[in-house]
Amino acid sequence: MAADPSAADLDAAEIRRERIAAFRHGVQAIVPALVATWAWGLVTGVAMVKSGLTESMALAMSLLLYAGSAQLTSLPLIATGAPLWLVFAAGSIVNLRFLIFGAALHPYFRHLSWPRRLALGYFTTDMGFVLFMPRYADAAQKGTREQLWFFLGAIAPGWLAWQSSSVIGIYLGALVPSSWSLDFAATLALLAVTVPLASSRPMLAAMAAAGAVAWVGQALPLRLGLAAAVLAGILAGMAAERRARGRA
Amino acid sequence: MTDTEIYVYSAILLLTLCSVLTRAGYMVFGDYLPLPDGVRRALRYAPAAALTAILVPDLLPWREDLGPVFDYKLVAGIAGIIVFLRTRSAVLVIVAGMVALWTLRWLGG
Repeated sequence: MAADPSAADLDAAEIRRERIAAFRHGVQAIVPALVATWAWGLVTGVAMVKSGLTESMALAMSLLLYAGSAQLTSLPLIATGAPLWLVFAAGSIVNLRFLIFGAALHPYFRHLSWPRRLALGYFTTDMGFVLFMPRYADAAQKGTREQLWFFLGAIAPGWLAWQSSSVIGIYLGALVPSSWSLDFAATLALLAVTVPLASSRPMLAAMAAAGAVAWVGQALPLRLGLAAAVLAGILAGMAAERRARGRA
Repeated sequence: MTDTEIYVYSAILLLTLCSVLTRAGYMVFGDYLPLPDGVRRALRYAPAAALTAILVPDLLPWREDLGPVFDYKLVAGIAGIIVFLRTRSAVLVIVAGMVALWTLRWLGG
């Protein structure tokens, strides 16, 4: 039995190598999107301070919420002293997509303890989800070590990029004149992330429907247009998928 | 603490609760909220739809009182898409898009 410890060591080394490789793949996948995260964080940092929050309020908001669109949505409400229930409702609607993401991710992480699932859920980002799902959507086995560590690699840099740029935005961003339209850099970066997703006909149908509803739905209050657009996109994608399968 | 501080920090705490519930809610309680396979397949379209929906209001703004409005950002965005399809580089998209926007504004006043 003298060989056992070294065999265990070998296993442990093998596991560690597998983790590091998967984590690295996750990081490599997310790096191009970090420009977008960074620009968004900077813009959000500036916006928080410009809407009248003190620096400590803005820091607390960024570190606790970690949710760009919910932060940007709540700012005008807080600035006008809207009732707290309305602030909460608006934040929930903008964040609804995370509930959908969570449902999709759950099969991959259900084997973990609940505090770990809580942490994974809390640190989930749009981009982490967007990169994870197409990669493992058709995986035969769900809940592998590779999937967990790829996901960790995809979400950890996002947190660092977001918080560092938010802090810079809070303290320095106000010096950048608004006439530079730095926020548009964030839009452009998101564009570079979105365009390659149109990789199949049903996906294109989903994006076209979501875009149309989002365009018309801008007049809706509380960014309800965003939730309606996601719903429309899902329905259009499913319909296109059924049609494609019917023809095949 | 002043009334304003209490109000703002209460809002931040409520929004934190909202962040935790929406992001981690399903992850924690998912075993008690089973989802049929069809629904899961449908969810694959959610991220692309959400990203598109976040982009569109920026490129094609719709003002409450004016209806649809044209913005140079649309042209700059299309320039960005063309650059991306040719180069597949996110950085070049940002450079091209920003230069296009600044140039158009400079030309158009």
